[in-house]
Amino acid sequence: MRAFSRLALAFLALVACDTAGRVIVRGLSLPVPGTVIGILILLAAIVALRRVPEPLKETAEFLLAHLNFFYIPAGVGVMAYAALLADDLWPILVALFASTFLAMLAAGLAFQWTSRLTQGKDGGA
Amino acid sequence: MSDIGIKLIYWDRVLEAGFWILLTLFFYYLALRIQQALGGTPLANPVLLASAPIIALLVAADIWVGDYMGGGQALIWLLGPATVGLAVPLYRNFACVRSALVPMAVSLAVGSAVAVLSAVLIGDAMGASLETVRSLAPKSVTTPIAMGIAEEIGGYASLTAAFVIITGIIGAAFGSMFFNLCRIGDARARGFAMGIAAHGIGTARAFQEDEVSGTFSGAAMALNGIVTALVLPLLWLAFAG
Repeated sequence: MRAFSRLALAFLALVACDTAGRVIVRGLSLPVPGTVIGILILLAAIVALRRVPEPLKETAEFLLAHLNFFYIPAGVGVMAYAALLADDLWPILVALFASTFLAMLAAGLAFQWTSRLTQGKDGGA
Repeated sequence: MSDIGIKLIYWDRVLEAGFWILLTLFFYYLALRIQQALGGTPLANPVLLASAPIIALLVAADIWVGDYMGGGQALIWLLGPATVGLAVPLYRNFACVRSALVPMAVSLAVGSAVAVLSAVLIGDAMGASLETVRSLAPKSVTTPIAMGIAEEIGGYASLTAAFVIITGIIGAAFGSMFFNLCRIGDARARGFAMGIAAHGIGTARAFQEDEVSGTFSGAAMALNGIVTALVLPLLWLAFAG
């Protein structure tokens, strides 16, 4: 029971950071999503603590391992735009597939080459 | 119009939302089991495997997708706190991330430019409408930012939301295979490229590969979101406006 309440507390900490991020972004009308600010807030808190509390580590790792779950409603939402997608179906499919591969290729090679140039090794961490 | 009547409507909605959440959980569990049975292949993407039968169910039962979103919206909201958890692996791999700042900056600049330009040029060359092309531009960025950018440059935010999800599934499903094919073996490069091209759904996949990949993917997703939101609308006005 105590373990559960500590996990619940860790989850509330995540919610608090996210909410604080959203409030800050809205208040200052920053062009970034609140969640990104939320990540920075939590990171600052962990740096100040100098360690990751065990329940927070467990909760965060569990949620990240199941990040896909939270994207399912967005996947279902695609259905609502089926008619719009059908208008330009082939250009859309070709553009999305080709562009995703090209972006992965460009970003991956740029990273790998620069890493070899600046660090003189493969990295391969 | 009595108090009781209002309460009944309220519990109705909660129960309905709960039903949709449980249904989503069930299909997510099923998707994970299928992926496991297929040896964990990323081709069996859990978002695709879980949302397809839910869509089929809604269509078959003639249920409006907005009804489903009564529960779906709660899960979309939870995406925020779940993503905030990225701070934990970021902290643990801080030294590794800090030593790769130069490769990250170069990859970010090149990757975000290619992600936008290739989508716009290919869509245009294939004869897509101007609105579709505008909606395609921010497709590699995480949903809330992408929708904002689409509105700013004259696309349809809702169409962009669909593009973002499809892009994420493509990257997550084919990324690992594609990186192997292109001899991109550095776990940091694989993760970072995944996050730039395929945002959160790519990041979910990167965490399935290993923690270093996931961490770099999460960092790339956040950075690409910020850079694209700042630069894309300005460039669009300068060249296309």
